[in-house]
Amino acid sequence: MGQEAAVGVKDGGGNAGSSSVSRFVSVVAPLLLLASLAAVPLVGPGPNIVRLLFMTLTLVTASVGWNLIGGFAGQISFGFAVFYGLGAYTTALSINGGIPPAIAFLLGAVVAAVASLLIGLPTFRLKGPYFAIATIGVSEAVRVVMMNVPFTGGASGYRIIDKTRFVQSHHYYTALVLAALAVGISILVRRSKLGLALTAIREDQDAASDLGVNPFIAKLAVHALAAALAAAAGGVYARYSLFIDPDGVFAFRNGIAILLMPIIGGVGTIWGPVIGAFVYGLIHEEVVANFPQAHLLIFGSLLILIILFEPGGVMGLLQKFLRFVRARSSVGSHS
Amino acid sequence: MSAADFLNLFIAAVLLAGVYAAMSVGMTIIYGVMKIVNLAHAGFLMLGAYFVFEAYDRFKIDPLLGVLLAFPVFFLLGMGVHWLLVRRIATSDQPTLTSLLLLFGVWLVLQNLGYLIWGNSDRAILTPRTLSSIEIGPISFPTIRLAVFVVAVASLVGLEFVLHKTWFGRSVRALMQNKEAGQIVGVNVNRTAQIAFGVGIAFAGAAGGLLAMLYSFNPDFGASFQLRAFVIIVLGGLESFGGVAVGSLILALAETFVILILPASYQPAIAFSLLVVALIVLPEGIAGLWAKRRRWA
Repeated sequence: MGQEAAVGVKDGGGNAGSSSVSRFVSVVAPLLLLASLAAVPLVGPGPNIVRLLFMTLTLVTASVGWNLIGGFAGQISFGFAVFYGLGAYTTALSINGGIPPAIAFLLGAVVAAVASLLIGLPTFRLKGPYFAIATIGVSEAVRVVMMNVPFTGGASGYRIIDKTRFVQSHHYYTALVLAALAVGISILVRRSKLGLALTAIREDQDAASDLGVNPFIAKLAVHALAAALAAAAGGVYARYSLFIDPDGVFAFRNGIAILLMPIIGGVGTIWGPVIGAFVYGLIHEEVVANFPQAHLLIFGSLLILIILFEPGGVMGLLQKFLRFVRARSSVGSHS
Repeated sequence: MSAADFLNLFIAAVLLAGVYAAMSVGMTIIYGVMKIVNLAHAGFLMLGAYFVFEAYDRFKIDPLLGVLLAFPVFFLLGMGVHWLLVRRIATSDQPTLTSLLLLFGVWLVLQNLGYLIWGNSDRAILTPRTLSSIEIGPISFPTIRLAVFVVAVASLVGLEFVLHKTWFGRSVRALMQNKEAGQIVGVNVNRTAQIAFGVGIAFAGAAGGLLAMLYSFNPDFGASFQLRAFVIIVLGGLESFGGVAVGSLILALAETFVILILPASYQPAIAFSLLVVALIVLPEGIAGLWAKRRRWA
């Protein structure tokens, strides 16, 4: 039963249906998406659209990262703002220290991966809700500490002095490459032995460890990978915005956003978190602008509705729709 | 530090522990019966605070009386939320992803309804009691803290009575120990779960009212107390009422005495640090420790 549930939420490239359709969905469509996104700055839609897409792409990276631990392994984290923020701060400090941006992002990822162990080591040994609970606490604790740490300016924030000329499309392509890398990592994890182990852990941890999977190590590893991706996204954002503060990057609402996106798109799938990040990234600012007081009310209600009626998110709806169309067409061919 | 200072801090910690226990016990009941971590707890704490505030502001109802009124009101509200949302999701003997996310969504909705209704300015409940204090020799403590402590402890004693003397209470304790065995002896799981959820929310609402008498609040109010409640029930072993009392005392003592060595601005990080320490040192909580000692003895 568990196995079926895992396959049921798998990405479009399943065994059902004709192979040409599934090859299109799993190979051609992503390449088309990548190519059109790469072409965006060349078409010149104006800096505001590019900025919106840039933000959305950093969200894709964080969302895909969250999905590794939250979706594949089924360990819900409310605290990804911690990694996002650590990545932002590490990158900021490194760039100000004269380190090239690419290495600065990598340093941010490493710092976040190490930090992820501090949450994982005490909680992943235990079964139960401990991990989810701890992630709520760590978010608040780290924000409080960062508000009081003197060498990053505490609550007043930290400014990045980037000596290179500002070219928006460079930032955009950085975010695009990172998002593509994140999706690539997600696909590799899913197809690897680790991915199978994570699915087994999600469905039944005791059964998984009976079959020789070490749940503790597997969860620690994928949590570190997820944290590194979220941190890199935070770093790319920090280099673009040139100013960060604890209430901005470490805010609990960032952790909420990073969790909402995969759930909107379809948790535990390859493309769900990407779709969710685009949905959230593109409508989020409009919603905030139109309903400044109520935007989290709207996203909260959306979360409740998804959980009650379509836990598979957009991907789940798509699959239902495809099945419906296929059933219709096969009925049509018989008559 | 003189002995009087120490005693003052100790009494402050004990008085704080009473409120902490009242605010955590609702989460324990819900977890015990349904294996659901109520992430919406913070939202109901906040609503409880505004309930008592509005009752005092509009109808001149004494806040302590307001807290007593909050019990039935939030009991019904909890039953309603259970009927509308919580009963629709599957439960198991482990907290499910679905339940965590559903109740997290409820929290988001409640918190932002709060912002919509009351805005984001801080409110406080000020009565003549708020600023008076009782002095016994060198020891002094605010009257309001004592009053809040008394109400909190009285409500816990009331709960203890219900749990041990009524059919509902026995059902709750049976389900906490073993769900299947409870069903075999005739406990109606759904009915008990609904009432337990109501009781849990009733305690959340009342505790929110009690906290509102001690601290100023806004719609974001419950979050830090929700974390404290988590820490307390983890310290207590998740399903033990005695553990909640001890866990509350430990957290209150840690938070009170840590200001002697750390700046007060770090205080919100204490609860989390204690959680991590507890998970490493005492993964089964204090109740687990007791169980172990019993096994050895």
